[in-house]
Amino acid sequence: MNLSTNRRDVELATDDLRRRTLSHMPAPLERMIYLGSTRDYNTGLYYHDGLASRFSDEVACEALSTCHREAYRQLLSSSVEDLVRQVDYYIQITHSAPRDFVAAWKSLQPYRVAVPAATDPLAVEFLCSNVTIALAIWEVNHDGRLRQRPDASLQPSPVQ
Amino acid sequence: MIQLILSLLVGFVLVLSLYFFVRRARPSAEGSAKQLREARQTLDSLQYGLLPSDLTERLFSRADLEYVLSAAPPDVQSLFLTDRKNIALGWVRRVRTAVLALMRFHRGHARLHARLTFSTEMRLALNFSALLMTCRLLQITFYLRGPYAAPGMVRTAAAAAGRVCSISEKSLAFLNVKGVGPLENDAAHHRA
Repeated sequence: MNLSTNRRDVELATDDLRRRTLSHMPAPLERMIYLGSTRDYNTGLYYHDGLASRFSDEVACEALSTCHREAYRQLLSSSVEDLVRQVDYYIQITHSAPRDFVAAWKSLQPYRVAVPAATDPLAVEFLCSNVTIALAIWEVNHDGRLRQRPDASLQPSPVQ
Repeated sequence: MIQLILSLLVGFVLVLSLYFFVRRARPSAEGSAKQLREARQTLDSLQYGLLPSDLTERLFSRADLEYVLSAAPPDVQSLFLTDRKNIALGWVRRVRTAVLALMRFHRGHARLHARLTFSTEMRLALNFSALLMTCRLLQITFYLRGPYAAPGMVRTAAAAAGRVCSISEKSLAFLNVKGVGPLENDAAHHRA
């Protein structure tokens, strides 16, 4: 396979990934976590069965990597206010108990390992700091909402 | 006798200086390749890691500060300000280190590989000096008054660093093969 065919295939696969899968994930935080989870931690390579069957393992890997970097850059340029909204949305779609989610994210910091490789360490530090702040603000807002509605359960509200 | 000793001493110092000058003017191919690779990586780290506007604008955005001050409790506000200050100080330190590395590379090696005009050399020297001074001032300002104290100076530093990068890019242009992107900091781009 020559270089131009390969590049064309990667563009097609990236477009396919955006249309079929990522279009259902409006928040960059969700996209970054999802795309990070398609990467093998031992090899650093990305895998996606559907995409690989339509193209090839290498092309799928490159397409996933491109979209992962894209989601990361979008997340990096998100304001803290927007990050709070993204955290809120992400908690809702994961259907986890908010307190458990916040406790896990605070202790495990899964977003740290979900960033693409070869990214600048200072930018990663900045992103992680923003997510930490957003989580703290989300927690305060959530507690405030619970105090206003003492009978409300701790379960998240349905996805809007 | 004393005059003879002095003359011999001066002669020895001159020969020694000449030896070091000749050695410095002809770097080994291996050493030169290493320096070029390091300079390319420093340039990439500045251009793609530290200077992109999405990072600098967000890092020094007052909108985030205003939001956090209005929506977060005091302990979170304090955490935010401490984090931002540390990251801003880290940013300016990294920019300064990268600029110093580029300056050293330019002084030692770039002239041997790129034919820059006298005016370009002068412009580069002025930009290097202004940038290093601005970075030092920014470090002091961030340390004393926090990351939001000098937005104009941040823009000036980022713009000057951008100019230094584009001029340094000319010195390293011969490393770029047509159709292939800049050298990667990491081994495998597709693993990014």
